[in-house]
Amino acid sequence: MQHPPPQGDKPLLLAARDVTKTFDRTRALAGADFELAEGEIHGLLGANGAGKSTLSKIISGHHSFDSGEMLYRGQSIRLRNTRDALRIGIAIVMQETSLVPDLTVLENIFLPELGRPGRLDYAAMRERGRVILDSLGQSDSLPFDWKVRQLSSAQKQLVEIAKALGVGAKLIIFDEPTAALSPGEVSRLFDVMARLRETGRGLVFVSHRLEEVFSITDRVTVMREGRTVLKAHPTADLSQAELIRAMVGAELGAIYTEPHGQGETPGGPAILEVSHLAAQPQVKDVSFSARAGEILGLGGLVGAGRSETVEAIFGLRPRSGGEVRLAGRDLRANDPQAAIRAGLGFVAEDRRTQNIVPDLSVKENLLLAHLGAHRGFLRGYQSRERKVSELLQRLGLPEERLMDASMLNFSGGMQQKIIMARWLLLSPKVLILDEPTKGVDIGTRAGIYAMLRDIVAEGAAVIVVSSDFEELLGISDRIVVVSDGCTIADLPSAMLDEEKLTLLAAPRTSMAHNTAMLEHFAREHGGAGFWALVEEGRIICLNAVVANAALDPGFKAGEACIAAQTQIPRALSRREPIFVPEADNGRTTLLLPMRNSRGHDLGWVGLSLFPDAELPQPEAIKARIDSIAAAL
Amino acid sequence: MASTTAGATMRGSRFKMLAQRLEVRMLALALVIGFCLSLLSPYFLTHSNIFNMLDQSVVIGIVAVGMTFVILTGGIDLSVGSVAGLTGIILGLSLQHMPIVPAIAVAVLAGGGIGLVSGLLINLFGLAAFVVTLGVMAIGRSLAYILSGQTAISDIPEGMQDIVYTNFLGVPSNILFLITLYIVAWAYLTYTKGGRTIYAVGSNKEAARAAGLNTLFYSVLPYVLSGALSAVAVTFSISQLLSADPLMGNAMELDAIAAVVIGGASLYGGRGSMIGTLIGVFIMVMIRNGLNLMGVSPFWQGSAIGTIIILALLVERLVSSRASR
Repeated sequence: MQHPPPQGDKPLLLAARDVTKTFDRTRALAGADFELAEGEIHGLLGANGAGKSTLSKIISGHHSFDSGEMLYRGQSIRLRNTRDALRIGIAIVMQETSLVPDLTVLENIFLPELGRPGRLDYAAMRERGRVILDSLGQSDSLPFDWKVRQLSSAQKQLVEIAKALGVGAKLIIFDEPTAALSPGEVSRLFDVMARLRETGRGLVFVSHRLEEVFSITDRVTVMREGRTVLKAHPTADLSQAELIRAMVGAELGAIYTEPHGQGETPGGPAILEVSHLAAQPQVKDVSFSARAGEILGLGGLVGAGRSETVEAIFGLRPRSGGEVRLAGRDLRANDPQAAIRAGLGFVAEDRRTQNIVPDLSVKENLLLAHLGAHRGFLRGYQSRERKVSELLQRLGLPEERLMDASMLNFSGGMQQKIIMARWLLLSPKVLILDEPTKGVDIGTRAGIYAMLRDIVAEGAAVIVVSSDFEELLGISDRIVVVSDGCTIADLPSAMLDEEKLTLLAAPRTSMAHNTAMLEHFAREHGGAGFWALVEEGRIICLNAVVANAALDPGFKAGEACIAAQTQIPRALSRREPIFVPEADNGRTTLLLPMRNSRGHDLGWVGLSLFPDAELPQPEAIKARIDSIAAAL
Repeated sequence: MASTTAGATMRGSRFKMLAQRLEVRMLALALVIGFCLSLLSPYFLTHSNIFNMLDQSVVIGIVAVGMTFVILTGGIDLSVGSVAGLTGIILGLSLQHMPIVPAIAVAVLAGGGIGLVSGLLINLFGLAAFVVTLGVMAIGRSLAYILSGQTAISDIPEGMQDIVYTNFLGVPSNILFLITLYIVAWAYLTYTKGGRTIYAVGSNKEAARAAGLNTLFYSVLPYVLSGALSAVAVTFSISQLLSADPLMGNAMELDAIAAVVIGGASLYGGRGSMIGTLIGVFIMVMIRNGLNLMGVSPFWQGSAIGTIIILALLVERLVSSRASR
């Protein structure tokens, strides 16, 4: 065990008992218990809508709680706002950062002090900033004078952490801190978190990525439907299966409807073809096609440009280049109505701002896309009456609820089902859903997945955008990975797992070092370099640089293939740290494993050369790979 | 036994549902005001005064229709009064060169054209409706003075009076026009694609666009209607007075907005109805009429009307927040 769980004698920093919170009519917390000791990293887990974000926001003063009790260092507290929380030493590092993009890094770190009367002592601030960064082991990673706008997401996060330390925070909540980070950035963040733990601070780590929870937390608390179902349990005593059972509830073991054919995907004709689509600045070069009868997942990190891509396809966002064809016909840009009439449906990400029309009845909300597609002067509602009652049965919604004046009284899951029904009414050829289970309880999620399966069974294509890799892998037949606005991989989901998906989805910026290294190898020795995941006779290429076309390994970045069908089958099957010549002696290949500083497997780096070339020392290559891996 | 209690709760819940509708509560308010005024002035409920009030409702009522459309989309049109003034002068001048029907058509087209410009400025460039229509309000009044030469145009042909004083089955044509207009507008808003789109645009424009509705067209249309209906309203005024004054329609935007808001429309858009607006118009006209009958000085009437509007909305807010709880 790398870090022992906290002993019973470690003083408690925070204890929350039976906390409840209701928004409008939705019960967000129905009895949450939580505790955090000094010098501990505590995982707070739960599915979407389980209440973990609400609880973190209550602890950090964003919301007040309705009933229950909260003790901070033994004293009962009731925070009115975040300023209260900061004053007593509670800070939160959020997904959408709370930084001011046009101020400098230094000003942002000491933002809470800018409000104080008197002159600011920049020299002293700079010195204190340096001390903080040194304590995190990140002395040189933040240029103090840059505007925050210019930073990467990982750097912004570091600014937030430094800001929390600037006000002397004792308790720091990390709300899904890894959602937008590459694997290398994640391990750097974990190093920082480990240092903070050593100084006796208490950290809350909110996440739904289990492998991260296991690698960094001391104890975990699991929430489900607003309640704590597993309180402060030592992580080391838990298995992944036990954790999943706690998160999902025993009765809902398999929420993903069916395992799909291993390796093969439903092979209908391509209905939606997207080629070189661009919508500046977020979407640069996206190409993929969706086939009838399949669920296509669009994966990537938060901010990779997936939502922007689907909005540009549907016409809600101006395109700056590329083509979209639906059933063989060009789809005009900026014209959602034409897209709908051509057979495209789109469930946008944000229910409240992009989907629900609050002043129309449930029935009219259901018929809204009909109204958009409808030609004619009158509403034409009666023409859809039969289909509406059919759909209601499928949703399990009593017909009289249809006349309810507002959708806002429904649960998030039911709202989402009604929005989906809005599109099913039109029998679209292609239905795009952006984060379809955001804020949806786990029971309804299973229902939504089943609905998606029904839709593709009827011959439509479904495209799902999701940041939840587990969900994406669970429901999709095929996954297209988007990173920094470009499609970089198109693979059957049966070939992938969360770890591979994370590697594929890494931002191109973190790939730059790797590309530079491969380029260096390939050019210096006149061969071909690549980075790939290899297992069970299959290979998924993450990156490839070919300096000599004759040595093309037979796969490109983002491609998957059978190892035996590549140009280097021998090397791939032996995987030894020496140059392995192929059967025809046309080339010889060195394959070396890459591991980051935390011992995480990052796949293999290969270098193919002509057998008569001067072969470099494997040790020298390995040293170079290790140095890159450490930074990755 | 069981069935009667069920019936009673059913009736009870239906009554509650009815009471939850703002129009119903406002209709009740209108009846209360009418009852009070009939006690205060014996003349109030006479046949001739009722027709007199209906007659006074026509001009403001017509403008309030356009205003309801605009407010339903979440906009506001402050220019209705000065557009009425300007199109009135255009009508007066046109009548000197052409017959009545084409002259009215010119005025109505001019009103619609001004609304089109405002609507496009607001929706294509994302300018604030308040500011754009405020600017148009100033321009309209100024042009009305310039085109009229600062005096009223009084050589209006007598034939114009037929527009107002032709009776059908004992009802004057202007009142019939008002009633027809409200029925058509109500049917449009309730039963047509365009009408539902106007509600959807006002309630959540982004969702409406994502559902394929033509949000630009139906955001601009209300301003065109509002401008055109201002011209129609001033046509009725001119027919009665046989004179076109550049000051016509002064402060009319306030009465129109007040009527729409009293009728239950939300200034954020998406909520409101023609029936509510009609009740709002009647409440405004009744109060003014009643105050006149009681001999309240016109200088005090503004204060009285303002107070009543604010009180009505305050009471409504207090009642509705309790009802929804």
